Amino acid sequence: MTETIAVLFIFFILILFGIMFYYKYQGVAFKEKQEELLGARAMDTTLKVLFLPEISCTKGEAEPEDNCFDMMKLRHANETFKKYITKYYFNLFSYSRIYVQEVYPEQTQYILYDKEIPFLEDGTKGWEKKEPTFFTVTLKDESKSAIIPHYGFGYVVVEVYL
Amino acid sequence: MAVKKKAQIAVTFNWVYILIAGAVILLFFIGIVVKQKSISEENLATDVVRVMESIFTGAGVSEKTKNFVDISGLADYTLFFGCSEGVTEYGISGKGKPVQNNIDPIFAPLELKDTVLVLWSLPYKLPFKVIDFTFVSSRKSKIYLMGNTPFINEFINATSGFDNIEKINDVSEIDPARNYQFKIVDFSGGQFISQGIPSALSDVDDNKVTAVVFTGQDQVDYYQKEGQMWKKKNKLPVRIISLGGERDSARFATIFAGDDKTYVCSMGKAFLRLRYLLEVYQSKLTEMKEFYETDPQLMAGDCYNYISDQGYEVNVESSLRSLKNRLDACLVNFPISYDYCTEMVGAAEKLREANANLAERGDCLTLY
Repeated sequence: MTETIAVLFIFFILILFGIMFYYKYQGVAFKEKQEELLGARAMDTTLKVLFLPEISCTKGEAEPEDNCFDMMKLRHANETFKKYITKYYFNLFSYSRIYVQEVYPEQTQYILYDKEIPFLEDGTKGWEKKEPTFFTVTLKDESKSAIIPHYGFGYVVVEVYL
Repeated sequence: MAVKKKAQIAVTFNWVYILIAGAVILLFFIGIVVKQKSISEENLATDVVRVMESIFTGAGVSEKTKNFVDISGLADYTLFFGCSEGVTEYGISGKGKPVQNNIDPIFAPLELKDTVLVLWSLPYKLPFKVIDFTFVSSRKSKIYLMGNTPFINEFINATSGFDNIEKINDVSEIDPARNYQFKIVDFSGGQFISQGIPSALSDVDDNKVTAVVFTGQDQVDYYQKEGQMWKKKNKLPVRIISLGGERDSARFATIFAGDDKTYVCSMGKAFLRLRYLLEVYQSKLTEMKEFYETDPQLMAGDCYNYISDQGYEVNVESSLRSLKNRLDACLVNFPISYDYCTEMVGAAEKLREANANLAERGDCLTLY
């Protein structure tokens, strides 16, 4: 009888170890998955921003200029993004912060979109981590001369929240 | 003697106990395996649609690029695509949660089952670029083109590599082979409709045989096999709202769309984006006007006259306003008001003309 109890005891201890190991592994795997998804979301959002018709440089019927933002559109796009954030743009960018940092000729920062995960009920911030992605862009400004557009450069920063 | 009998019962009882315990343990592990199998299938479905979402994002922005995605791991599953009330839903039939997308216009068959997914995107312009249309097809989704129009050659050249597009002169040339579904696209008025289902396709499931008939320059009808006859799916002809020309994405989309409803639904997404985009262009126009208004000499020039509604008859300001008004009428009760969207074409043409006039001058600011 004592032997049976001892065997059963060891058996259940082993089962318990198995369950504990499994849950620990699941927790780590879940965190890894979340980080992977965050990275993928950061890349997807950056890709969307680089090709946004709201800010990209165009020239009539010709192909749009790659990695180029039109300053005359960029200066106003944030008003539209802000106005229709709930109706439309949240579905495009989700919880993220997108801004363009001009490096030359000036150092102006243009915030295009900013939607942070809301604070929790206990007052703590709603996000644990943010993943920034940087991409160099040219900034075309035709408002300085209609004949030869001025090209500056800067970088676009896309921060996605987790 | 009595002691011996008791021992025999005890030994038997131990075996029964061990058997029951063994069975319970076995069942426990079988339960875990079954549960894990179903969880893995759900995870696979979720992973697949997530990957598809990323692929669509990539395909959607990489204009005019064809992507061939190996989905041989999903050969046993059926992918579905649908669009209603401005939301596209796609995923694996009966598995996992489908993805919902209310931004990207995706034109795809209602169902797909294949080992290779074909993705392609083209920009939709009215007159400036509004959004990229994503077209989804597969090698086993056969498209037969009939008729005599330059568009057929343009379509065949543009979709080279798809390996699922064939030009035929008559429906009798159709050979189903090992394809999953069939679409007949006719540019000659749809005379084959009255002849019923082609004999080669008579045994194929109804939902796998469809037809698109171009009944005019800018309108199509959608048909679906019903027994041995064709059933028209749309009540009114589906209008193509575009400026025409080469690589007309709205025209290409009619061929890739599953039916009239998904086509109109996806077009609605493009029109919604146009509404927001127009506001950005309106702001750009204000800045353009300010640029010329600061200098009286510039204000008196041709450039300003092509921009301001006080200037020439065809100008950017009034064309943009007209496009916005017509877009509002189009979206007021969408998709019922879809036919009003055709009125945007005239305004968009005028805007294109005004912008081209500005570009032609060489020293003027252009809207796009």
